[in-house]
This record gives sequence, structure tokens and C-alpha cells, in this order.
Amino acid sequence: MQRLYAIIWLTWKAAFRFRLIWVISVLLLASVVLLPLIIKHDGTARGFTQILLTYTLSSVTALLGMATLWLACGTLSRDIEECQMQLIAVKPIPRWQIWIGKWLGLVSLNALLLALSGACIYGLLMYRSSHLSPKEQEILKNEVLVARSSLKEPPPDIKPDVDRILESKLKTMSLTPDEIKDLRKQIEQQVLAVHQIVPKDYRREWVFDASRVLKTAKSGRPIYMRIKFYTAQPDIPTTYLCIWRIGSDKSPRIIEFEQRLAGETFHEIPIPADVIGSDGKLVINFINRNPVALLFPIDEGMEILYYEGGFTLNFIRGLLIILFWLALLAAMGLAASSFLSFPVAAFATMSIMILFFSSGIFRSAIEEQTVMGVDHETGKPNYPLIDSIMLPVFKVVFKIMNLAQAFSPVDNLSSGRTISWTDIGIAFGQVVVILGGIFALIGIITFTRRELAAVQTTGG
Amino acid sequence: MIAQDQILEKEESKAQETKEVVVSVRGLTKIFKDFWGRPKAKAVDNVDFDVYKGEVFGLLGPNGSGKSTTIKMLLGLLNPTKGKIEIMGHSPKNVAIKSRIGYLPEESYLYRYLDSRETLEFFGRLFQLSEPERKKRTEQLLEMVGLSGVWNRPVGEFSKGMQRRIGIAQALINDPDLIILDEPTSGLDPIGCREVKDLILTLAKRGKTIILSSHLLADVEDVCDRVVIYYGGKIHAMGTLKELLSERDMIRITTPLLSKETLKKVIEIIRADVGEDKIKIDHPTQNLESYFLEVVRKAREQAIETSGAVSQNVIAEYLRGDAETSPEEKTEKLLEKLAFKKEEKPEEKKEEKEEPKIDESKLEALATTSVKPQEEQPQVKQVQKPEVDLEKVNEKLSSLINKPK
Repeated sequence: MQRLYAIIWLTWKAAFRFRLIWVISVLLLASVVLLPLIIKHDGTARGFTQILLTYTLSSVTALLGMATLWLACGTLSRDIEECQMQLIAVKPIPRWQIWIGKWLGLVSLNALLLALSGACIYGLLMYRSSHLSPKEQEILKNEVLVARSSLKEPPPDIKPDVDRILESKLKTMSLTPDEIKDLRKQIEQQVLAVHQIVPKDYRREWVFDASRVLKTAKSGRPIYMRIKFYTAQPDIPTTYLCIWRIGSDKSPRIIEFEQRLAGETFHEIPIPADVIGSDGKLVINFINRNPVALLFPIDEGMEILYYEGGFTLNFIRGLLIILFWLALLAAMGLAASSFLSFPVAAFATMSIMILFFSSGIFRSAIEEQTVMGVDHETGKPNYPLIDSIMLPVFKVVFKIMNLAQAFSPVDNLSSGRTISWTDIGIAFGQVVVILGGIFALIGIITFTRRELAAVQTTGG
Repeated sequence: MIAQDQILEKEESKAQETKEVVVSVRGLTKIFKDFWGRPKAKAVDNVDFDVYKGEVFGLLGPNGSGKSTTIKMLLGLLNPTKGKIEIMGHSPKNVAIKSRIGYLPEESYLYRYLDSRETLEFFGRLFQLSEPERKKRTEQLLEMVGLSGVWNRPVGEFSKGMQRRIGIAQALINDPDLIILDEPTSGLDPIGCREVKDLILTLAKRGKTIILSSHLLADVEDVCDRVVIYYGGKIHAMGTLKELLSERDMIRITTPLLSKETLKKVIEIIRADVGEDKIKIDHPTQNLESYFLEVVRKAREQAIETSGAVSQNVIAEYLRGDAETSPEEKTEKLLEKLAFKKEEKPEEKKEEKEEPKIDESKLEALATTSVKPQEEQPQVKQVQKPEVDLEKVNEKLSSLINKPK
């Protein structure tokens, strides 16, 4: 343990003596303090707080991420290139402990910087909110500076409908397997559309199992409908009449109201908690009296948000997930510098980071089932051989990337959603243990096998 | 005489057989390869040797001969292409065995941003020394290498010699049984060189095994019991210095100053057996190192200030092995040490620069010197060199001493 501590101490010492820590601290403070002065928002306290949280947390994550990669690549590869590692490696410390010590040093350093920046952001939020009117404070407390859980309708099981329609179509048509595949996709989209689109003069009903929300109902806190819809006229700036009927025969009361809302944006509508039925069901009906159909996407069209806890602990949990990402970046940088020189390691890890940000390319390639594109006349892939090799690779890479990208602490915090301890546990397992472990394994094995004196062989 | 030498050699080799082998190297080969795995250079070629407990073993050879590569394989920093290395019966990769090894690399690979105390504390932690022990050793080592006055300066600001000193200190923080020193005196001033050599001898006396790599012949000659001479990655000679250096067909007699008559008689007797051209008579001279040390000693007595390393001429208590002894015992040991040092430095055996022919005038000159009593004459003045040269040397050395580092 003393050896491990010695390596951690050395990593800290280097960061402080090279004044890196001071430079990063100044940059972090600047991003936290200066950003709120220049950002644009919708003029409401809620909008400003949401944007403030998003921008500051994103910039802190990006800044610390880059610094972590830089430090991780430098701390090991420079020690090897400048031969200091030779003096450490001949001491009674296993090489895996040197590697882990460096990693722990970087993670602890990040934890300190993140805690400092987090404290600044938190302080700034609290200070600003204390200067708002009581009404705005109440809105912030209920909608942003809060930890809310969400309820969604389970995704509809479209398979039986798709199978039935496909079967009936195939009775009248003779198709090749590829054509059947295409037809199935089209039917799937049609069936999904039925679940998402509310045509003119039609009604759509959502039913949620809200038994978990009853506690909130008792506390008297409101619950929120978070909705988003699309229309067939996205270019026309207008609002749409939304008629709501919330509650069922088994609920203490049923409410009905109308409002005009814009499309393609999120709206949060407070509703009283006593609309939940005694059976724990929350029933929401929407009636479309507009001249056009409205589309509520399955994944984000309708969601119920309810109070679960305070903002402070949620904010800390959000920072923990960011710390897990930074720990992964530290492992990645150290793994690369275990066998590459500093500039090459830095270049390689930055490239991997860019790859992570380009996950959309992977997703669309996988969805379209082609990497090189399709011939629009024949509808067949341009380069089937390349696709057959690259698509499985893309699928694996995308799955790996999803292990880290499945969490969005910044979005959750800015929309006042709960980041549960379960999420923290899963994030730790996926990001630190699995992904970080893969990089650690690669790094430790290569570092242990590496000839540390091979960089300088002209001694005598 | 030759027969006697052979008996001594046989006894020595017998003694070696019974000695504990600390380092064993068999068929050691290192081939450096390029990116494609093609052989690029054969740095070490089928090398065999053993190093025994308590001996000072020298690796001698020109630059690029394979000394450092051998050392790095002994330390597990390079993997042998072929062959086997055992350090105290274990592989060099064994982590536990490293707690008994001290290593000084050919360059001082230290962290520039740490000060000398932090450097020693850091390495002490790697050896899991308790805090009081770590602090005690750190202070003693800083005192020993003459850096206790500048402990708070970052190592990066040190001169090469000062970095070397802190490098030596880190190699000894764990009181190692096996000490591997790669060019230990490189970058050191003559005082530092002498101190390092004294330190090596003291450590060897305490039963430590020392492997020393150097291309400075004087260093190796002063301290090594046995040497191997490398060239082109191969060992070209191996043995004790006595085996390698003694000229078995010649002898040398050293006496106090003799009167002209006695000297004449002696030469007459020798002349009966040996031709005149094969007899050489002169005054033994001390080497430049001893002369330099004497000048510096005098300068110190005049308290000339320096901003560099200040040698305290002490060896860390725990390295001397007398940490627990009483003050009386310490005094005894100090006296013993001083006596031992004198025995260990047979200066009179050093270089004989001039080789005058035996003639009457020379004999006269040699004999006349004896008129002055030896006690009154400091050793410095005995050097047979022109007066002008000495003054120049004096001036140069004095300027060096006064020059801030």
C-alpha cells in the first residue's frame, strides 16, 4: 500500500510542480464563472438554469477529459522515455502497481478538480436562485433543482400485428427473401405510426402504472406531463390546440383543460397528483381537434415526471458519473502510453475520443445495414463484401461505445431527473469495471512485458 | 616466486568456489532487433561470469562494449535474447529480490521537480521503510553526499555532479546487499570520486557485493577485486587485478631513503645478476588525485565558501553498520576505519612517470635528497616535477575550487 501511495503522491506532485493543476483550475473557474455571462437563454429562470447547468457541466467534462488524456499519456510515456521509470522498475514494486498507482493518482486528481468545479457550479446556482422571485424559486425547485423520476408507457408489442399483416400480403404476392425483409420493415413502420400518430378528430390514450407516484401524491407535490409532438407542417410557426382529459373512474378527480402548444419542443405541464386512480393507474387522454395529425414519438412523446429527492445528492451522483468517464479516459491514456510514445499515444487516444463522439455514424450504418451505402436504383448495397466485414465490427464497436454512452448526467441534471444509485452502480460496472478494465488489462500486460531500457541502448 | 604466486592463485580460486554466488550469468546474449524483428546489433555475446558475496566486481570496456546492456539485463530492464541470469538464486524479474538491490544508472534519471529530500523519501517509500527509518536514512544520506544544505532545491536545478550524488544516495536508501553502479564517478569532481571509491570500499568491507561498470581505468583499479573486460559484447579478459596486472618476470623493492653508499652496494649486487639497462631507480610519486585532495584539504582549512555540494566526508551510519554502538565503540571503529583506509590506499604503488637510467650523477642526486629529514617534508613536495608546472596546477585547481557550481 505504501508503494501504491508513493506512486499516487508522485503523480500529484508532478501535476502541482508543473503548474498544470493551477492552469486547469483557472480554466475550469473561467468556464464556470464566465460562461453564464455570455450564454443566451429563453428569458425564464428555468431556461437560464437549465442552460447554465448544461453548458458549465459540459465544458467542465470536456476540459477535464482533454486534460486527463494529456496527463495520462504524458505521465507514463514520458517517464519511460526520460528513463525515470528505470529507477522505479528496479525497486520492489510490481509493474501493475506502478500502472494502477498512476491511474489512481489521475483519478484522485480529477476527483479533486471535479469537486471544486462542481462546488462552484452548485454555489453559483444557489446564489442566483436565491435572488429570484418566490414564484420563480418555486418553479426552479419543482422543475430543475430537483430529482424527479419518470414513468413511460411500455413500448407496444407490434410483432403480432406485423406478422399478421405480412402473412396476408404474402398470400397475394411472390417475393424474394430480400424483398420480404424490406416489406417487413415497411409494415413495422406503418404499425408504429398507428401507435404514434393522432389523426384529426381522433383521441389517443396513455395508461401508466403510477403506484410508485402515490407517495408524491400524499406529499401534495405536483407531478408533470413532459410531452413532445411533431406535425406534418414543421416549417409553419404555429401552435396547436391540445385538449387533455386526465384521470379515470377510479381516481378521486378527473381534470379537463385545453392549451395551445408549439410542436417539436418539450413541454412540462403540472397536474395534480390526485388524478391517479385507487388502482395506481394514471390515465391520460389527448384529443386532436387540429386540422393536421400530430405525432407523439414512442420514446419521448409522453412521460410522467414525479418528485423523488433533492437536487444536492442528485448533483453529486451526476458528478460521480462524470468522474467514471474521466477514470475511463485515464485508463485509455495510460494503456496507450504503456507501449506508445507520448505524441503517438496522445494522437491515438484523441482519435478514439472523436470516434466516441461519432457514434451517430455507427448507429445509422447499423440501422441502414450498410457502411458503404446502397444503389438507389436496385436498392442493393454498393459494396456487399465490405459491408459483410465492417457491419459486424461496427455493431461490436457500437455496443462497446454504448456501455459508456448509455448515461447522460448533464441532460438528467438540467431536466431535474433522478440519477439513481442503481444508475451509479450500473455506470461504475459498465464504464469503470468493464471498459476501464479492458484498457487496464491491455496497459498492464504491455507495460509489464515492455523492455524499459530499450529506449536507450547506447550506454556501453 | 612464480611458484608462490601460483599457490596463492590456487588458494584464491578455491576460496571463490566456497564463496556464495550472488550473481550468476551463463551464455548471456542480447540482440537488439528492428521494428520488423530483424537483428540490428549484438550488444552482448555469450557472456559467462559469477559475482561472489562481498567482492567488488568491475565491468570494464569502452563505450558501446555491452557493459550497460549487461547491467540492464541483470536488473530486468532488458530481456536476454539467450542465456540465464540468477540474482541471489532468483530471476531478475523477481520483485522481492529487488528489495536487496541498489542501482545507480549511468545518467541520474531523477524527477526534476522533486527536491533531494523528497527524492529519497519517495524511493524510501518504494522500499516500504517506516517513516522514522526513512527520515533517519534520508538525513544521513544527504549528509553523506554533502547535499544536506541544499535539500530544498529541486533536483532539476542541480549540477551533474550534485545529481550524481543524489543518485548514489537513492541507490543506498535500502541498505542493499547487491549494489550495481553504472559509471558511478561520471560527472563527479575528484573529491567526489575519491569519496565514492571510499564508500565502495567501506560497503565491500561490510560484506556488500558491488558490481561496478566503468570505462575509467583508475576507478576500477582502485576498488575492484575482480574485473571483466568487454569489447564488442564479448568478454576478452577476466580475473583479479593481481592476475591481470602483475608482471611476473619483474620485481619492485620500495625502501625509505638510503645513503649513497648503501644504494651503491645494492645496485652492485643487482648488477651481478641483471644488466644495467633493466634496473630502474626513482622516487615513488603520488598520483594527481592524491595531490588534488591535499590542495583541497588546505583550501578547506582556509574556509573558502562554495554553493555546490559540500562533502562532509562521513558515511551514513546505517551503511557503516555501527548504528547501535556506543560513542567509545564508534571512536574505536573510526580509528579502525582510518587504519583500514590507509591500508587500502597503497599510493606508493602508483604511477612511476620517469624512468631514469642508472648513472653516478643520478645516484648522487637520489642520495643527496636523504640529507633532509622525511618528517619535515610534506608529501606534496616530494613530487618530482618541475617547480613551474606545480604552480600552474596549483593555480588551476584553486580557481576550480573557488568557482561556484
